[in-house]
Amino acid sequence: MSRLSTLSDAELVQRCRAGSSDAWNELVERYSRYVYAICIKGFRLSDEDAEDVFQDVFTRAFLRLETLRDDSALRPWLAQLTRRRCLDHVSSSGREQPVDETLAGEGSPDLQEVEEAFAVRQAVAGLSDACQDILDRFFAQDQSYRTISAELDIPSGTIASRIARCLHKLRIELED
Amino acid sequence: MVARCSRDSWPEAAGVAAQAQAIRDRAVTLAQTDERVWQDALAALAGAQIEQDSDERRDHRLEQTLERAAAAPLEIAELGADAAALAALAGERGDGTYRADASAAAALAAGGARAAAHLVQANLGVRPGDARLARARASEQAANDAAARLLEPLR
Repeated sequence: MSRLSTLSDAELVQRCRAGSSDAWNELVERYSRYVYAICIKGFRLSDEDAEDVFQDVFTRAFLRLETLRDDSALRPWLAQLTRRRCLDHVSSSGREQPVDETLAGEGSPDLQEVEEAFAVRQAVAGLSDACQDILDRFFAQDQSYRTISAELDIPSGTIASRIARCLHKLRIELED
Repeated sequence: MVARCSRDSWPEAAGVAAQAQAIRDRAVTLAQTDERVWQDALAALAGAQIEQDSDERRDHRLEQTLERAAAAPLEIAELGADAAALAALAGERGDGTYRADASAAAALAAGGARAAAHLVQANLGVRPGDARLARARASEQAANDAAARLLEPLR
């Protein structure tokens, strides 16, 4: 985990404004999946179109960072930028069934799912490396307790309990 | 179910319920995969019987198809061991009211692991001493042991 990854959004924005390219890289790294997920899941853009919007959103974010009024509101600001760029892209591409702004708007189920996934991802990042690793192995890589036990060299009989404890900590992170 | 009903008395219950859900989802996908790869294997075997002449490439393809057909039940056997271990944990730490339900879940999971290990063994591509068979049998044993932890005291 890099030193910058522990910074809050507001601190990261302040460093970006001060001209830190490392901070900017961290900002893009932190929000790239989020922006991409809005494009793909919220607006059903193709990979290629999503890539265009992605580039556009971060270019605009870079150029307009000074206009962000509340530094801690980086995420909603990026979400709004992304939604606008997606809608522009859909209308300019002449897609036969344009996305209704109300469907892909802030409260849409798809975008809520993106928000939820992002919140979980951020909360996972707040856990210990050991917890992040074991949760990733079980839930993302579909590894069995036996495989996890062999690869991490911990007793097989304790894996389920360790995962449960990590999930308990994750819940606390999410509620904070 | 046992973990969901134990939330008031057991802080890890929600985490156990989440793992049970993940195991259930995986089991559904694996069962579908198992059916598909076994159909592929049967078709490949039937094709090999029609063409009597030996063909190295065809034999290699048949071997790969059988390998896939053995891999799916092997994963199911491991999943059965995980389900039994989780049920044992829920039975031991969860609300005692539901211990018998946890025991039943562990017994079913152990049965699933045993059936899956049998399918691995029955697969024509698996010979005695095959490492995959050893893994499947180890999963079967682990599932049995987990179930026995809950079932033995009831006898």
